[in-house]
Amino acid sequence: MSAHSTHGTGLSTGLGVTIDDVGVSFGARSGGVEALGGVNLEIAAGSFTAVIGPNGCGKSTLLRLVAGLLPPASGRVRVDGADPRPGDGRVGLAFQQPRLVPWRSTLDNVALPLELAGVPAAERRVRASEALDRVGLTAAASLRPRELSGGMAQRAAIARALIGDPPVLLLDEPFSALDALTRETFNDELQRLWMERPRTVVFVTHSVSEAVALADRVVVMTPRPGRVARIVDVDLPRPRPAELLGDPRAAELAAEVRAALSEGHALELRPWADQEGAA
Amino acid sequence: MRRGGAAALSFVVFLMVWKLATVIGGYPEYILPAPEVVGERAWRAIGSGILWEHSAVTLLEIVLGFAVGAAGAVVTGIALGKSVLIERVLSPYIVAAQAVPILALAPLLDIWFGGGLLARVVICALIIFFPIAIATMVGIRSVDPLLTEMLRSLGATNPQRTRLLEIPSALPVIFGGLRVGVTLAVIGAVVAEWAGASLGLGVLINIANQGLFDTPLMFVALATLAIIGLAFYGLVVFVERGLLSH
Repeated sequence: MSAHSTHGTGLSTGLGVTIDDVGVSFGARSGGVEALGGVNLEIAAGSFTAVIGPNGCGKSTLLRLVAGLLPPASGRVRVDGADPRPGDGRVGLAFQQPRLVPWRSTLDNVALPLELAGVPAAERRVRASEALDRVGLTAAASLRPRELSGGMAQRAAIARALIGDPPVLLLDEPFSALDALTRETFNDELQRLWMERPRTVVFVTHSVSEAVALADRVVVMTPRPGRVARIVDVDLPRPRPAELLGDPRAAELAAEVRAALSEGHALELRPWADQEGAA
Repeated sequence: MRRGGAAALSFVVFLMVWKLATVIGGYPEYILPAPEVVGERAWRAIGSGILWEHSAVTLLEIVLGFAVGAAGAVVTGIALGKSVLIERVLSPYIVAAQAVPILALAPLLDIWFGGGLLARVVICALIIFFPIAIATMVGIRSVDPLLTEMLRSLGATNPQRTRLLEIPSALPVIFGGLRVGVTLAVIGAVVAEWAGASLGLGVLINIANQGLFDTPLMFVALATLAIIGLAFYGLVVFVERGLLSH
């Protein structure tokens, strides 16, 4: 089921992403660690995909591949049929940490992608202000990153990822450092942003409930070397308020995701925690 | 104001200890002149225009030597910081050049560069080069790799990364090098003048010390150099505060 038919907000933007038998190893010269071992994934244009899996399963690596930051050792990654290239404007990436430049104001941080692309200063200001408005940071435009709360900084990072209006948005556990309540608000906002302006979203998370709450499809990965263990389609209606997660169907889907996780994860005894740290 | 008061008080104490040493020691004037003797000599040196005549030359050497040396060192430091290959090739020469006493080389450099202002600027620039180049290299290397990756993900070119990320994040460390460098520039100017010059505070020291046995005048020249060093150091700190006020 494609995303825009679910909620029907007119035109869908977004590009399809194809991950074709992709393998990645690190430190190949000294034996090496196989991070991804033959991942196949077809991500539909305009869909919201959550990727979930244990630490070290290569979730972040997968996003780096789609962002063009890392070439695959084998296989091929394509965004709308072509190799991804950083700065081509097709992919926006928000990291687990906000990664704001400390000496720039919030506005200048958000405008950074435009500056790199050579957009004139006046236009940069206007567009960055609009981007800040959309994430509710209008009042923080002139503040430095150290003056922002963790949540505000992460909003700014998402505004920066969205400023070029990329057809594909990659989110690498962007809310993992936030407290549970703030996180719920953020998930609602993220869903709202996406419904206002649909695009292809790939969202890496450690949280089963977050994955089920946000995504059209949940991709469950195996431990290292990462592979796709199972894909769970989430057929819940949108918008999905927080209460919806009490719904029996949501609970059923969450259980399905958990089962898929523990299958691939039988060797590790640690229980799944929503607030777990970085991969 | 309190900081100014503390500085003034410590200066008064310094003068008193100096005066006390001359009284207790009973040294002749050519060994250790009393502060008021030096003060009186300074007054006469200012009045006759001799102090300004020499200071102006030294000031010019310091400004030019620091500008040339610091600019060259920052550019070199950026190259060293960004390229492991360049660092491997260049750093042995840079370290070796630093280990050679410039005092010994100065007369030769003076001949190579024609013995004029150019030669003195070169010597001054060479003396300040090392600490600034190394500080810049260290600063460039200490850039946050997470920010580098963020810029790469936005398609930033290598020159864009240098301009927007590496240089700004290296600035505090570069300024550490500039603070050291600017005081060395004062020494560099004097060393260069000793290698061959007819004017300058270094020359004045030599004239006073070896020609005239006028130790109070030598103290005047030394005090002037100290004041110049303090002033330039303060200027660097001032610029640093302005640039890094975020």
